[in-house]
Amino acid sequence: MYDGFVEFAVSQGVPLSTVTLTLMLPIVVTIIAFFRQVVGIKAFGIYTPALVTFAFLAIGLEADSILKGAQYGFTIFVTVIAVGTLVGIVLKKFRLLYLPRVAIMITIVSLSTLAMLIAGGLLQRTGLASVSIFPILIMITLVEKFVSTQIEKGARTAVVLSTETLIISLICYFSVSWSVLVAFIQTYPWIVLFTIIINIVLGKWTGLRLSEYFRFKEITKYAEPSHKK
Amino acid sequence: MPSLLTKSRNILGMNARNLKYIRPYNLKPAKRLADDKMRSKRVLRKGGISVPKLISKIRSRGELDDFDFSSLPNSFALKPNYGFGGEGIMIVYGRKKNVSNTWIKADRSVVTEDDLKTHVRNILDGSFSRMNIPDFAFFEERIQLLKLFKPYTFKGIPDIRVIVFNKIPVMAMLRLPTEASGGTSNVHNGGIAVGIDMATGVTTSAVQYNRVIEYVPKKRLLLSGIKIPFWQDILKLAVKAQDVSGLGYLGADIAIDRERGPVFMEINARPGLAIQNANQDGLLGRLKRVEGLKVKTITRAVAIAQSLFGGEIEEGIEEISGKKIISAVEKIKFIDRNKKEFEIEAKIDTGAYSTSIDTELAKRIGFEKTIDDFDQIDLSEYEFVPGSGERIEADFMEKYGKKIKKLENIVVVFSSSGSSLRPIVKTAFIMDKERVVSKVNIVDRGDLKYPMIIGRKDLKRFLIEVSK
Repeated sequence: MYDGFVEFAVSQGVPLSTVTLTLMLPIVVTIIAFFRQVVGIKAFGIYTPALVTFAFLAIGLEADSILKGAQYGFTIFVTVIAVGTLVGIVLKKFRLLYLPRVAIMITIVSLSTLAMLIAGGLLQRTGLASVSIFPILIMITLVEKFVSTQIEKGARTAVVLSTETLIISLICYFSVSWSVLVAFIQTYPWIVLFTIIINIVLGKWTGLRLSEYFRFKEITKYAEPSHKK
Repeated sequence: MPSLLTKSRNILGMNARNLKYIRPYNLKPAKRLADDKMRSKRVLRKGGISVPKLISKIRSRGELDDFDFSSLPNSFALKPNYGFGGEGIMIVYGRKKNVSNTWIKADRSVVTEDDLKTHVRNILDGSFSRMNIPDFAFFEERIQLLKLFKPYTFKGIPDIRVIVFNKIPVMAMLRLPTEASGGTSNVHNGGIAVGIDMATGVTTSAVQYNRVIEYVPKKRLLLSGIKIPFWQDILKLAVKAQDVSGLGYLGADIAIDRERGPVFMEINARPGLAIQNANQDGLLGRLKRVEGLKVKTITRAVAIAQSLFGGEIEEGIEEISGKKIISAVEKIKFIDRNKKEFEIEAKIDTGAYSTSIDTELAKRIGFEKTIDDFDQIDLSEYEFVPGSGERIEADFMEKYGKKIKKLENIVVVFSSSGSSLRPIVKTAFIMDKERVVSKVNIVDRGDLKYPMIIGRKDLKRFLIEVSK
């Protein structure tokens, strides 16, 4: 039932999961682009939510459960951001230069993540304890994005963007874990090329974002009749 | 919701701003110029636009080590060259006495030479620059706060953002630093954005965090109605800056110095959209109206802006009708018996023909004797029935008119709360800078909210704006 191309790739020794995940990437980034341009959810750009999505996928594959992937991924993500926020507040007083500050943050965040994994093991959540290093590393590198946002735009924005990243990543994760979509892509891999067309449309889209209807609701509320024309 | 959709067509969203305005009208060289503050200030100065004076700059760690901090003046602003959103700016107001190389900030905290060095190092490392690229630090003259803005401002300096497109200023706002914004005028961090009427330079509505507010936080100080000084000059500067900078879609940031007047702070290649909320109007509608217009001179551009995007303010109506605009409750000035001016609030009542004032107020403005004399008279001989008014008035005036000091006339008022005979006196008051001479009746309004109601007779020179 696989498409010839997929079968060919697999026969050349590329693991099926790798083929599938690679084909899913265009879909993930298209979803993210859609959320940015049409819905107005910013998140940390396109790269970070895509990576986090794949971290979730990796955890889910290992735990062999879609739900657990989301659950463990969510736990690690929230830990990283919560610790990042706290450490950020403490470090602000020391007035350190940027890179050393990020280095300290990553150190403390990794130690906290390790502690959490051990705690997961103690609580008999062996799935959480055995999450592999790749997704954990991705989550920890989130900290850099988080810190730079914290410095440039303030802690509030950093937390908002993190939450948005988490939401988009979860949406992407559930979309690309959806067995119907997976089977569909494996059968018709060329479909992913359509994302290019979708992105051209998104790239030319000049309409208001959904979030902007809320941001500017005061204007529509008070707009005077003279502006109606 | 079709009405909501048609109205929102005039709102400029992020997508349209980037694709339709910034991309085609702000080309890369101009954008690079805008991001480089020192260079853009140099270019502006060459173009005849006044900018804050550059004191000195530090471009590397080596220069920092050799830098003589004692050469700095008593007050200055330290800024990152590629900074944005007002981040990384440090302003000192004076030197601490008897301590070398120590300055004081607006919040009275002390800044030592070491603090400055750390800050400069952070700037050089790119902590405040776009994409964290290595940066320069520079010191420039500190803008001195205009007295007018003082009560509205927390620490920093307010500035005026003008969006200029196709050489025509299309929208403007006043940005006020607040406690929440930490003294920067960044409206995303809690600075207040106040819309400005383009014709008059008078502020209209205000927002903080995208929510409409009327007063300065924690103060009973209205944000609307502030008249920005040098308004024409500010608009001209903004247009000129567009010419000089080559940015087709420009956000011009202009501050007003107490001594120097309007000073150009920054050109911005990606001006934000919050200005729409501040003005409660969409940018897209305005941008479309000026697209394709060919404007020859700066004066003409400013005139177009003022006539196209102004006039919502009452002053325009006042000019046309020759009438003053007042609100439903208006401040009234009187002169008391000791020749001192004082103010009260009066209700404007178009349901009443003549103006009434409270007994106490009448006493205060010198009619104490009149009221005392009036109170002496026994009114029981009069029977108040509808239609008897004129007869009673005539009879009363004949009998007592001469005996009561300063009495002009008398009026019988039939009202739901019972009928009464009220003395009428002649007085003058000032409403919205207009002197009104009127015959007013005196009545006990002690348990009513306003000591005065102003009736139609005295409102002929005014228009009433109920939403004011």
